[in-house]
Amino acid sequence: MCSKRISNDAKRNKRKNTMPDHLYSFFLTKSKILEYKKAGRKIIGTLCNSVPEEIIHSLGAVPTRLLGLSKTTENADLKLPRWLCSYARRILEDGLRGDLNYLDGVVGITSDDTKMRLYSTYTFYVKNNFSYIIQMPYVRSENSLKFFSMELERFAHKLSNHLLCDFNRDRLKESIKIYNKFRLLCKEVCGLRVNDTPKICGADWMKIMLGSISTLKEDFNKIVEDELESLKDSEGIKDYKLRVHISGTDFYDVELLQLIESLGAIIVSDDLCTATGYFSGFVNEGEEPFEDLAERYLSCSACTFTAHPNVSLIKDRIGFIKKEIERSKADAIIILRDKGCEIYGWQCSSIMEELQDFPILLLDIDTPISLEQYKTRIEAFIESYGD
Amino acid sequence: MAINMKMQEWNPLGYKALYKELFKRHLARQEELLKRGRPVGWFFSFHPSELIYVFDLVSAFPEQYSAYCAARGSSTDLIDVSLSMGYGHFLCDYFKTTIGSIVKPEKATPPTMPKPDFIIGSRGLCIAHCEMADVFARFNKVPFYIVNYPYWTRYMIGRHDGFTKVPEKIDETYFEYCVESLKGLIDFLEGITGEKMSEDKFKDVFRVAEDTSKLLVEIIHLMMSKPTPGSQREICDLVFVAFFALGSTYAYDFAREAYNLIRDKVKNGVGVVPNERYRLLTFGIMPWHSLTLYEYCERLGATFPVNLYVNESVHLVEADKPFESMVRRTIHFTNADYEMIYDVVEGVKEADLDGAILFENTGCRVTSMIIKPLADILEEELGIPSLIIEAPQCDPRIMSLDRAKMQIEAFLETLK
Repeated sequence: MCSKRISNDAKRNKRKNTMPDHLYSFFLTKSKILEYKKAGRKIIGTLCNSVPEEIIHSLGAVPTRLLGLSKTTENADLKLPRWLCSYARRILEDGLRGDLNYLDGVVGITSDDTKMRLYSTYTFYVKNNFSYIIQMPYVRSENSLKFFSMELERFAHKLSNHLLCDFNRDRLKESIKIYNKFRLLCKEVCGLRVNDTPKICGADWMKIMLGSISTLKEDFNKIVEDELESLKDSEGIKDYKLRVHISGTDFYDVELLQLIESLGAIIVSDDLCTATGYFSGFVNEGEEPFEDLAERYLSCSACTFTAHPNVSLIKDRIGFIKKEIERSKADAIIILRDKGCEIYGWQCSSIMEELQDFPILLLDIDTPISLEQYKTRIEAFIESYGD
Repeated sequence: MAINMKMQEWNPLGYKALYKELFKRHLARQEELLKRGRPVGWFFSFHPSELIYVFDLVSAFPEQYSAYCAARGSSTDLIDVSLSMGYGHFLCDYFKTTIGSIVKPEKATPPTMPKPDFIIGSRGLCIAHCEMADVFARFNKVPFYIVNYPYWTRYMIGRHDGFTKVPEKIDETYFEYCVESLKGLIDFLEGITGEKMSEDKFKDVFRVAEDTSKLLVEIIHLMMSKPTPGSQREICDLVFVAFFALGSTYAYDFAREAYNLIRDKVKNGVGVVPNERYRLLTFGIMPWHSLTLYEYCERLGATFPVNLYVNESVHLVEADKPFESMVRRTIHFTNADYEMIYDVVEGVKEADLDGAILFENTGCRVTSMIIKPLADILEEELGIPSLIIEAPQCDPRIMSLDRAKMQIEAFLETLK
């Protein structure tokens, strides 16, 4: 098994496109963010996908989704319950260690219980010049849409006051265009994963997406545009045993995805907030940008926490997952459930029930990730269901 | 036990008989309404309970039922059922217990909750309540409605009073959004009952709620007297009155009697124990499986003049401002940015506290994530230390009572 794996890795490396690693280095080193900072741009960290980055971008600041890089959380564990998701603990850990001192502000959103209190805990212990929590309605309705649109406008004005710059509606429309282009490019790259011989593996896809949160979208778009054709022309990956869909929430540990793929699986789709869930769903480019943003962010099926009145919120989420699986022709599902994740804690049971026709491997994740612990189970799963 | 910690005589307020009468009348009402074929709704804490009485609804409360199962020993089996279904271990105990009772009613303590015709979720405390409403509605195949509220911040409401929950202001945009959401709830209930809401009854119920709420606010104020007049063993059940029965005449009758009892004890200078040695603040959902812990502490001379969780359940109703009152119910530090903790701590300064015992409810993000900032603010503002005990509210397996007692004894020895 080991020699076969080395051989698979060698083949894949031979035809490897350098773009994923290039972008991933932005995430690991924050080199781009620091470059922007040096050039005088303000850096605003966001605590959830549902924070409309377009607003921050239109005000000349750099939005960056916060994902903690700390591998252990000894400081955060003194401030937060130890059983909480590692996503929250790692962000706070980075903040407490001073690793996020480059931030000029933090923006949260009321998208789940953890993220609401993470915002409060973070701003309580790690002081920032600017902080704001966007009030996101839990229910999707006409009234909620109107309210959310007003709330986004209020946020835009609060931030513009802080940044000492005037809010400009046309600039916001321009930012929406840039973000839609980003989404279109991501869709194209993501589409390259679903071929019989996928042009890009799951670990590389994750690296690209992590790079995207650490770069201004216009810079990201340029890098991807430059590489897209060569990616399309690449040979593609043939030597896999099982096509896998990855399900989860704020997961971003590339090493685990690499382990899964090194054992013979190919990750052809996902519904992670940090990958496919991050870019899915376009914003209408109309005359009322706040309404358009409200509509997109309130109705995004990839997200998990808002519901139509009287319609079960899990239905949308499951619908999104099913569509991704159908598109990618995945044969099996690996669920990466952070043991403290409330969203997946609630929804896992229904997702597994709805997708019971597929072989499912459920892995409970905690930080620090113990790869050895997962290896046996992943290997057995791939052997059981792979070609 | 430390040598100098002798168990003392314990003199509770005598609320036990009052609660018995309260529940008797509550259940009699339920029975009568069920006979009349009135719809059954499931509700959560911080919902506008007044509407239950305006619409003559049969009400059941998953949180209260879970606490009931925890006190009677069935919650652990029910929690295991939920885990076997694939629900996360670190979810709210109330959810895990309730879903277990829905799927395996034979494992639940009777009488189980009546099957709902509808479910009302509320964002007045947590999103977990909305998620619970969603899941329970799906399992019972009934409609549900979610009442939306913001996560309050200083710029929206200014400072607030930790007892009445009256804020300096409520920003108009957010207030109007809440009112719209509440009007939507009324529409929903009109649809469920097939009846237009009676304006007269609405006014009457809110008048009763106002009178009751004033008494409840007084009770939690009087608890801060010296010596502490009552036991948390009995005060902790005030949450049932404040969360679920506010608006009923039996809640008013209870509150009136309860107020008289505590007022008389304060007037006569009688404490829950003869020799009060430490005055403690407590917070966190009470560990319903181990409520004797409060009595144990009190007998050691450590009384609890302040229970912030109980205080959060109480708010002042103003009958001439019914919608504002319903919105105010959600203005509490557990549904707000942490700056609001300072308002609450300011309010309990007069209690002259020596320390705090805080319960970290595993699986409850709302109460658990706030614990350490609260402990830090108590230290900063009042100069008092805190003991944090991991205590899921319905799962005694995580919290050993003997271990908790040892922790508390050691903590008390460190106090002045």
